[in-house]
Amino acid sequence: MEQMTSKQRFLAGLYGNPVDRPPAASIVSVITYELMDITGAHFPHANTEPEPMATLAAGAHEVMGFDSVMPIFSIAQEATALGCQVDWSDTDMMPNPTDSPWADRDVEIKLPDGFPDSFLEDKYVKCSIDAIRLLKQHFGDDVMVLGKVMGPWTLSYHCYNTQEFLFDTIMDPDRVRKSLETLAPVPLAYAAAQVEAGADAIVWADHATGDLVRNTMYRDFLLPHHQELIPQVEAPVILHCCGKTLDRVQYFSEAGFTCYHFESANPPDEMVEKAAGKMKLTGNVNNPITLYARGPDEARAEAQAAIDAGVDIIAPECAVPLQAPVANLQAIVQTCKDNRHQ
Amino acid sequence: MSREEEIKKGLFEHTLVGEASEVVELTQEGIDLGMDPLDILFGALIPSLQEVGRLFEIGEYFVPEMLVAARAMQGAMALLRPLLVDKGAEPIGKVVMLTVKGDVHDIGKNLCNIMLEGEGFDIVDLGVNVKPEEVVAAVQEHQPQLLGFSAFLTTTMPFFKSNLAALSEAGLRDSVKVMVGGAPVTPEYADSVGADGFAPDASAAVRLAKKLMVDMGYDVSMGGDDSEGASALTTAVQAVEELMVKSGKHEE
Repeated sequence: MEQMTSKQRFLAGLYGNPVDRPPAASIVSVITYELMDITGAHFPHANTEPEPMATLAAGAHEVMGFDSVMPIFSIAQEATALGCQVDWSDTDMMPNPTDSPWADRDVEIKLPDGFPDSFLEDKYVKCSIDAIRLLKQHFGDDVMVLGKVMGPWTLSYHCYNTQEFLFDTIMDPDRVRKSLETLAPVPLAYAAAQVEAGADAIVWADHATGDLVRNTMYRDFLLPHHQELIPQVEAPVILHCCGKTLDRVQYFSEAGFTCYHFESANPPDEMVEKAAGKMKLTGNVNNPITLYARGPDEARAEAQAAIDAGVDIIAPECAVPLQAPVANLQAIVQTCKDNRHQ
Repeated sequence: MSREEEIKKGLFEHTLVGEASEVVELTQEGIDLGMDPLDILFGALIPSLQEVGRLFEIGEYFVPEMLVAARAMQGAMALLRPLLVDKGAEPIGKVVMLTVKGDVHDIGKNLCNIMLEGEGFDIVDLGVNVKPEEVVAAVQEHQPQLLGFSAFLTTTMPFFKSNLAALSEAGLRDSVKVMVGGAPVTPEYADSVGADGFAPDASAAVRLAKKLMVDMGYDVSMGGDDSEGASALTTAVQAVEELMVKSGKHEE
């Protein structure tokens, strides 16, 4: 088969069309300290300024060889604009929300005044949109440019406080529904801006995971929002949800996602069976053990296992630890290259 | 059925479904009736939490159910704790506890604090996102025998090493034993960074802390009549820990 461009290959994998070899992708963050040194783009600027953010994201293709690039490395890019406290100054850590505006039950659950304009003009939101635009200008149609948004469940962890939010799924479900309903427009506005800037697909992170909540909570609280929101995104949408999720993949497949990015806690063959062709799959090379603490041989073995199981796009399972060796990420790509179809 | 038996039955059932106000009311009523606090604990609250734990293990309960049950239990413990530990035992050692730089997860650390306190340790909690220089300052100020680092993310685990290096640079490494733990941490990783011990959960953290104290030549027995009350408290908080320790990781 004739060699495809990275974008052609990724899109073919995303839609189940023939590929010259399995796509290897940066779905959520694959950046590492080593990649920062190689590209010269470091934290905190790579989280707060468009040029270094785009430069570091580009390294996923230009240094590691992945077929996609994705510049929104942390889970916090929207958080400041929604009133959360975030420390953006750290030179060696991902920014993380540290204070939740709705944790105080006396505070009304509502979006900041001026949404969506004020949201889209927030420094950190705008930075990410500009970075996508730069990546699109740089790669054109050769490489898949991905955007990323947090869905209303994960934004609730940030705005409401994770523990309080989970507690209220039982003790005050109306307030949980209010949070989800209030936050639902946020990923939609953010995704639209990213698509307008050049994103070819959107990663939608919503962590209603089996590590935390029962599958019926996804079905009853979040699925209706996904079914309403996802068709409104004018690009393919890839769901990211960590942890054990085999018991809810059926519900994910009813939500309208094109693809699901899953973790190594789920054996790839079982995930392929559960998805049953209703959604494409991407994942699931282990981070903390394989990519962080082991070597390229182990990374190759896990990537090969995912290919053999029928996973459509091969990728690390989640945001890669910053200390992971670049060679381990390159080994994933090399494994895909070694599986070139004749 | 006597009123005492009704109270115990009610405590079991209300704790199981996390009805905190009912649990507090019944606990107070039991105390007012002169019920033995140990009977309230072992006859009702702990069996209920053990049942919650069993339901979690078999996949019928998830983190929200554990949280509401544990919070109901905490309300009862606030009333029972003074009755159980008001016997004035001297601290058997001092522990400085913290979650490392870049990490804001603290449920596990907080459970360790409860367990260690129940065993008679004096706890200094530095909170979350603690920088290496703050670790050094705290050791200088509080002069603990033990230091506990918690990390919940593979991206923050390397700060164990940074903290230990900062202690060495300050000439303090030999003055304190260092325990590490957290969801992604392994014994091998703890060894590789030069920690003195690893504990996978709060119960193990207590055993490790006492072992390290003994290794340093300290007497860690609570002694005499205090042991029963302290043991009861430890068992109670251990039950809470068993419910909450798997509160789950999520970092994308």
